[in-house]
Amino acid sequence: MSAPATWKSKYVIEPRDARTQSAGVEPGYAQTEWRWPSQPLQRRPHTLSELTGPQDVLKRLAPVRGDLAGQGAKRAIGQLIHLRTQVVDEDGAPVAGAAVEIWHANAAGKYTHRNDSHDAPLDPNFYGAARMTADADGRIELRTIKPGAYPTGGAERWWRPPHVHFSVWGRVWLSRLVTQMFFPGEPLNDSDGVLNAIRDPQARVRCIARLLPQTEGPENALVYEYRLVVRGSRATPALP
Amino acid sequence: MKRFVPTGEMTLGPFFPREFGQGANDLTAFEGRPAKGEPLEITGRVVQADGSPLDNVVLEIWQADANGIFRDPADPRYAQADPNFFGWGRAATDAQGIYTFRTIRPGAYPGRAPHVNFLILYSGLMRQLQTVMFFEKASDPVLDAVEPAALRERLIAKSEGAARYRFDIRLRGEGETPFFDD
Repeated sequence: MSAPATWKSKYVIEPRDARTQSAGVEPGYAQTEWRWPSQPLQRRPHTLSELTGPQDVLKRLAPVRGDLAGQGAKRAIGQLIHLRTQVVDEDGAPVAGAAVEIWHANAAGKYTHRNDSHDAPLDPNFYGAARMTADADGRIELRTIKPGAYPTGGAERWWRPPHVHFSVWGRVWLSRLVTQMFFPGEPLNDSDGVLNAIRDPQARVRCIARLLPQTEGPENALVYEYRLVVRGSRATPALP
Repeated sequence: MKRFVPTGEMTLGPFFPREFGQGANDLTAFEGRPAKGEPLEITGRVVQADGSPLDNVVLEIWQADANGIFRDPADPRYAQADPNFFGWGRAATDAQGIYTFRTIRPGAYPGRAPHVNFLILYSGLMRQLQTVMFFEKASDPVLDAVEPAALRERLIAKSEGAARYRFDIRLRGEGETPFFDD
């Protein structure tokens, strides 16, 4: 081993805030008790290893379909929507070129996935998975259809509200974000075990997209705007 | 100046597109050109509290190249990074809970022993889990941060021959893997 590094990061990750992040084990969501560690999580110093990260992830993962709704005879069934999303860090700085994976259920609440046993029809014109690169301003726009709600099965009789899954790469290894986006005004939002695992009501509101005025988009689609905030901010310069 | 709070993390769910987990678990070449260094296989089994294996767990890794340089301009030695080593990969477990990466042995660099960062995403994991694999017992600020100290050996992979390491991950229960919160 060499002497301790003198490297100092220009970018820092601060501890998660328990009010705005799930605690891990969630009552009423049985799988969390089988999978979330029982021991307290460890703290570690942040070094070059944690404060660097992959650049241009889509050089490793192939881009997939920027349009999930399709056209003409191949149009997916459902309400046409455009999702305008911006990836920013805690400073509000756009993450230029951020890689983003998006997946969601079809209009009937069914995923094109062999593990989905929900008794709802598949839509041959809807696949439901995209992988995109944000522009220089951290923005992506996805044309798709609004997903349906679906039951999770099990004793709780819990239905998931319409939601869209996001997987996002921020600037560094510790900035990785996997989350779900919700739609405004959905009655199932109030009882959803995933959304409500976020304790702070304001933090939950930020997980719900905003419907833009109908004049904002194409005539045939509703436009939702959403901000994804990945972890990390510029280090405060040390005082002389 | 901080303006925003990080978005709440949520579970990957059971319907992560299966093909999204495929095709990125071999780091020994990038864009068809072989990376410098010693090729290795890192494999292991991911289990939950009752010891049962988990299918389609998504694991991502991030590591330095053979000379201990990260493929990121933030690394002071980035200009010398191996252009054919991407440093990041993703694998998904099969029905027996087994994942496999092919990679190269990361080099040490000032301040850290050779290691591979692991990130785990799965249905029922409300947040990502982070752990770190080491190749041998060594002085390292992250390994040494694990308390109680008896748990540190759980982060050291088992050598199964020169080019193969086994790193099992137990999410919860007896023998639970130490995970980091950052």
